[in-house]
Amino acid sequence: MNIEDLKQLTQFIIDGQAHITVNQEICKACESRPCVKACPANCYTFDEVTGRLSVVWENCLECGTCHIICDKGALDWSYPRGGYGVNYRLT
Amino acid sequence: MAALKLARAGASVCLLERGKQPGSKNMFGGLVHNCPVLNETFPDFWETAPVERHVYKKVLAFMTPESAVSLTFDNENFDRPPYNGVTVFRPVFDAWLAQQANKAGALLLCECTADDVIRKDGRINGVTVKGREGEIRGNIIIAADGALSFTAQKAGLRPKLQPGDMGVGIKLLLGLPEETINERFHLVRDQGADVSFLGAAGDIRGGGFLYTNHASVSIGLVMHLESLKLSEKSPYDVLNDFLQYPQVSRLIKGAVPLEYSAHLIPEGGYKAIPPLYTDGLLVAGDAAGLCYTNGINVEGINLALTSGALAAETAMEALKSKDYSAKSLSSYKKKLDASFVLKDMKNFKHSPGMMGMDRLYKVYPQIIAGIMENLYKTEGKPRPKLLKLIRREALEKVGLTKLLADGFKIGRSLL
Repeated sequence: MNIEDLKQLTQFIIDGQAHITVNQEICKACESRPCVKACPANCYTFDEVTGRLSVVWENCLECGTCHIICDKGALDWSYPRGGYGVNYRLT
Repeated sequence: MAALKLARAGASVCLLERGKQPGSKNMFGGLVHNCPVLNETFPDFWETAPVERHVYKKVLAFMTPESAVSLTFDNENFDRPPYNGVTVFRPVFDAWLAQQANKAGALLLCECTADDVIRKDGRINGVTVKGREGEIRGNIIIAADGALSFTAQKAGLRPKLQPGDMGVGIKLLLGLPEETINERFHLVRDQGADVSFLGAAGDIRGGGFLYTNHASVSIGLVMHLESLKLSEKSPYDVLNDFLQYPQVSRLIKGAVPLEYSAHLIPEGGYKAIPPLYTDGLLVAGDAAGLCYTNGINVEGINLALTSGALAAETAMEALKSKDYSAKSLSSYKKKLDASFVLKDMKNFKHSPGMMGMDRLYKVYPQIIAGIMENLYKTEGKPRPKLLKLIRREALEKVGLTKLLADGFKIGRSLL
């Protein structure tokens, strides 16, 4: 399975409103950034050049791994508004 | 289940669902275990519920990248109702269950994410909702909002969850023709297989699973979050490695990926269960950390269904006496204590300690595979007896002290 194919496999109802926000100050100073590797949907990317952590919350499976694994309190994480986000059909 | 039970008992119930429809946010491995509450609630459960296959075959496989040692249990007693377990799709099963609650009189409100608790006169008496914005008030709130339960957290029942107490499950649903599944797993009719893999996640504490559905297989991994963090690996890379193990790849050859999903699992066991009630609120299922594995049994959904039913029973008593205080709701804990839910969790309270042994996931499957290889290998050399083989493999790879310590942990957890 190629994680890049996620959007072909799993359906998302995308909200215009982000349900995850990143505290760039904390993330820039973080040494490990476990969210980047541990996210099952590969939502996080750290840009070494700009020092910015970006999150593609539109592909979020809402599992909460990043929320639990971040020990710096850098993520403001909540469920999307009702009706939005991942929409499993089978699984 | 809680909503259904309450509605059937005549209470005024509102069931909040954050997805487009019930189940659209839910994922699990795939197996609904047989439990009394299902059979009592639906005498014709096996005929009417949207189930895929009943589990006839249980397989426990110890894996290394080169080999697998499997223990297969085919059981005729699992081939007739009440079946020991059935595979289901959560979006289908949960929608059906919610529909039953709805038919019994519960008001189902979809697209409603419970955001925060509302307190009045020192007790919880509602939640705020985002999506379809607003508030829902009630004498009793039952938080059945899953492993992350922000409702239990905001009610002050538990602090933020820790990676050491949680696992993440990831799953790929793979489409395969029904006949192919029957041939590959030696099944007929609606018989299903449930395969657990130990040694499937490399250095990470965790295991693999495979469940057969009618025309698809659910395959995936459960990984302990702290261990995943330390490994610095990505879950989908570990999954891809697992899918390429020869013993796995031949089971899924030619399959078409249909859906990919992920979900957290409470893994802290008995010790990590938070307080289960407060003034005006009860917590059930994953939200209450009611989930356990002892390496052989992996149970959660049966504990969730049962705790939901017991929460409803408690709520009905409280509604009758018009007392919604923590004291009144404390009978919920007593009911759970008396049921298999907390009895099993208490009985296997040392299992998280056993499951924390890293050697269980790589070294022991290697030892078992090594013993089997040497047992069967013929190369014109004198053959050692079995005990000598076991001693050589185990002592070489682990050492006596660690072996004894691990033996103690396994014994304490399971014996």
